[in-house]
Amino acid sequence: MSDGHSKKTFVVTRFDPDQDAAPRKQSYEVPVHPDWKVLDALNFIKDEVDATLSHRWSCRMAVCGSCGMMVNGEPRLTCKEPLSQYGDTVVVAPLANFPVIRDLVIDADGFMEKLTSVKPWIIRAKELAVEEGPMRQSPAELAEFKQFSMCINCMLCYSACPVVANEPEFLGPAAIALGHRYSLDSRDEGAAERNEVFRGEGTVFSCSFANECTEVCPKHVDPAAAVNQAKLNAVIDWASSLVLPRGGDE
Amino acid sequence: MVEVTRHDIVIVGGGAAGLRAAIAATEIDPAASIALVSKVYPMRSHTVSAEGGAAAVAREDDNFEMHGYDTVKGSDFLGDQDVIRYFVEQAPRELTLLEHWGCPWSRNDDGTVATRAFGGMSTKRTWYATDKVGFHMLHALFQHSLRFDNIVRYDEHFATRLLIDGGAVRGVAALDVRTGIVRVVLGRAVIMATGGAGKIFPFTTNGNIKTGDGMALAYRAGVALKDMEFVQYHPTGLPGTGILITEATRGEGGYLINCDGERFLTTRDYGVGTKAELGPRDMISRAIIQEIEAGRGIPGPYGEYVHLDLRHLGEAKIDARLPMVREMSKIYIGVDPVHEPIPIRPVVHYMMGGIDTDITAATSLPGLYAAGEVACASLNGSNRLGSNSLTECLVFGASAGRNAMAFAKGSGEGSEDALRRQGEEEAARIVALRGKQKGGEKLARIRADLHQAMESGCGVYRVQETMDATARAVAQLKGRYADVALEDSSSVFNTELIAALEMGNMLDVAEAVANSAAARRESRGAHTRRDVPKRDDQNFLYHTLCHFDPAGPRLGKKEVTLGHWEPEERKY
Amino acid sequence: MSRNAHPHAMAPSKPGRTRTAPPQLPDQFPFGGRYLAYTLFDLTGILYVVLGLLALCAVWSLGSGEADWNAVLERNRNLFSVGFHGIALVGLIFVGIRFFGFFPKAQPPHVGPLKPPPKPVILVGLYALWIGVTVCLSIVLAGGVF
Repeated sequence: MSDGHSKKTFVVTRFDPDQDAAPRKQSYEVPVHPDWKVLDALNFIKDEVDATLSHRWSCRMAVCGSCGMMVNGEPRLTCKEPLSQYGDTVVVAPLANFPVIRDLVIDADGFMEKLTSVKPWIIRAKELAVEEGPMRQSPAELAEFKQFSMCINCMLCYSACPVVANEPEFLGPAAIALGHRYSLDSRDEGAAERNEVFRGEGTVFSCSFANECTEVCPKHVDPAAAVNQAKLNAVIDWASSLVLPRGGDE
Repeated sequence: MVEVTRHDIVIVGGGAAGLRAAIAATEIDPAASIALVSKVYPMRSHTVSAEGGAAAVAREDDNFEMHGYDTVKGSDFLGDQDVIRYFVEQAPRELTLLEHWGCPWSRNDDGTVATRAFGGMSTKRTWYATDKVGFHMLHALFQHSLRFDNIVRYDEHFATRLLIDGGAVRGVAALDVRTGIVRVVLGRAVIMATGGAGKIFPFTTNGNIKTGDGMALAYRAGVALKDMEFVQYHPTGLPGTGILITEATRGEGGYLINCDGERFLTTRDYGVGTKAELGPRDMISRAIIQEIEAGRGIPGPYGEYVHLDLRHLGEAKIDARLPMVREMSKIYIGVDPVHEPIPIRPVVHYMMGGIDTDITAATSLPGLYAAGEVACASLNGSNRLGSNSLTECLVFGASAGRNAMAFAKGSGEGSEDALRRQGEEEAARIVALRGKQKGGEKLARIRADLHQAMESGCGVYRVQETMDATARAVAQLKGRYADVALEDSSSVFNTELIAALEMGNMLDVAEAVANSAAARRESRGAHTRRDVPKRDDQNFLYHTLCHFDPAGPRLGKKEVTLGHWEPEERKY
Repeated sequence: MSRNAHPHAMAPSKPGRTRTAPPQLPDQFPFGGRYLAYTLFDLTGILYVVLGLLALCAVWSLGSGEADWNAVLERNRNLFSVGFHGIALVGLIFVGIRFFGFFPKAQPPHVGPLKPPPKPVILVGLYALWIGVTVCLSIVLAGGVF
């Protein structure tokens, strides 16, 4: 395992609420392999150096969304980032903008609530019976929302967003993108309900075009596009509700 | 100190099978309280990494008989035929429901759901969502489940013990990872949906969480593990990391090439006939290993491999149908499949074996059900066809949900005192383990030695001597595990404690795998022996049962349900 | 160097079962890396307020007769005012380019039966409108028409 390859120093945030008043930093020297990702080094630390380091990870192939952390100040999936792009010192911290439970582990429950609040499911006036078979959806219709369905809920976008940092009510990039994904789905009829959520307390209009969410998204979801499209939809929906009576099909 | 909560049923595991069970249960009774206990947030479940597709009869040129026959043949005739017939009949219904719930299946131009070819399937019946089917299915299921307030989630709760009273399962004891306290989560039925155990092997497509927890819980509670010797090696994993490169690459027309550029599945006889790269997984994995052993592999820093060549598919097709494969090859092995072939070799992927269940997803323990990879119904017999397992999670997850609810309706609650006491015993055990500084063993060493033993004795090709040695090694490791020393004594989010609990589970599962393997003196499906290379229906057409016993596992036999398809020689 | 974000940033609705450390701002915020452009973009809000007030003054003076208007023009013939207007011009061009850059992706795939025009058409249209209005207004203010 450690075959004398180059060493890097990892400066890792540590925090145990039972023992620490506040987070502190701890440095580890790790012999790194040329093709390691950041996560490999963290696992080495845990296995060989300091078993008290807590971090989340699972799939190690950038699809489960567990391993998001700040690496040298940027929110990253640690299973995806090659160590070779970093210098001799790598600073690993828990995701910004989240309360920290322990070491590199953040509290994700606030995110789960925001996600649920946008009603991320197919809403139809009348549920289809299974006997009727699958609904038809053309490749063009699928393409309209496909990109926004790629979110792995890794929360890097929440760490990057300056509005999330300052406005606790803001729904945030991933939640809005997911709600928008359903509103764009040709099988869904719930856009009006979601637009009410988008105009509500967590208002999409808090977004001030930082575009950082899109910059850091590891899955090319482009949440900034979703949020800003949702703004337009929310406005059109509100304006048309002044003119047209609600309850019709539109 | 334990906290007690009550529900109608308890589901352990938040992947495709567990979520489907929860949804099915809430459909039976929208007022029922359904606990969903998962050691990770559900969208982290390993279902998420599945790539290729989910099979169900969809086209005019297909029918249940064909899908059933492909499955039973793929299973090398060890699959239970009543289970298989039930499965293929339910499959289209389940995938249709998922479509209604928003799963973005890839489409034909006319808007109907598209299907692709897959290994061992006689026609195109694998529904897909580009090459991220598990991700899309899991997120569709999870997001659909969010509609139901009565599905009560216990996120990041690690179930460590089944609670049994009056001869039936009454709930689970689960460690709340965040706080370190143990909860007693009671329900009148429990469904295990915790997935497989690839992490007992060193090279696996599986993520860190696949440690066989549910299998071990049932095993220790006296339920048999069935057919544990059948471990599927997926033919195309990346060397070193073991990351999965989906079978869909072959479904879309990819070739397997040796060091001479030879498409060896067509030029040499590996039993796959004209199916070539679309042969069943066990045969392809064996073929690759044989090519490497014959000196026609390509050497690399993580051992020898062969090539998966997609170049002839062209960039447009790769980007349309296999975009994630392209991205992952570039990130994890530095190869762009549009321009270069991908290095691949067989890696552990799936456990055909698991908790012994019948066609209703029930186990021998009243109140305990199991569905998905954790269970062995047996749908897949000795070898699973690709794209059957995601559908399996849905079909048997739904069945388990319905049947568990029916059982719960008629079942009592057990004595809360007795159950609380069991919970407190479990809490004491965990407290004693946490930060246990006295001991001479390290978790990382035990894990490395376990990996070494399993790789040596339970690889693609097996031999009596090494299987026996592995069984002995695992027994020894269990002794060493009792002497493990842990550094982290914190209560809050102690992942070393979780790893230690998982290690205990892995050792129990490994014991079942190694002992079952050593006892099956034939080659069938994924269990291939150099010393007994032929299938022996006369003596071994049965399921292996493995029961836990402190003195060493007790093996038994269970009849295979035949009746519809006659076992025959398995040729393609 | 880490600093606290809003104390309730990303907090769940019910307090967590264990004590947590407060959420931290992203390291680069507000003036580091890509955040600099964003922060400047938002700070142009100050420019708008000032420009708005100046515009109100100018409009008021227009209504007060030619002498007042000439007095306004005279007051602004100094380095400070010209410098400010130069900064404002740069700021507005920056905001315009950044905003126009986002505009195409902010169009939903369709609104009812209407689809947005292709990206190049949107961009050309926006810039054409902007430049066109600027030119017209400049001509008017320079006295070319009235």
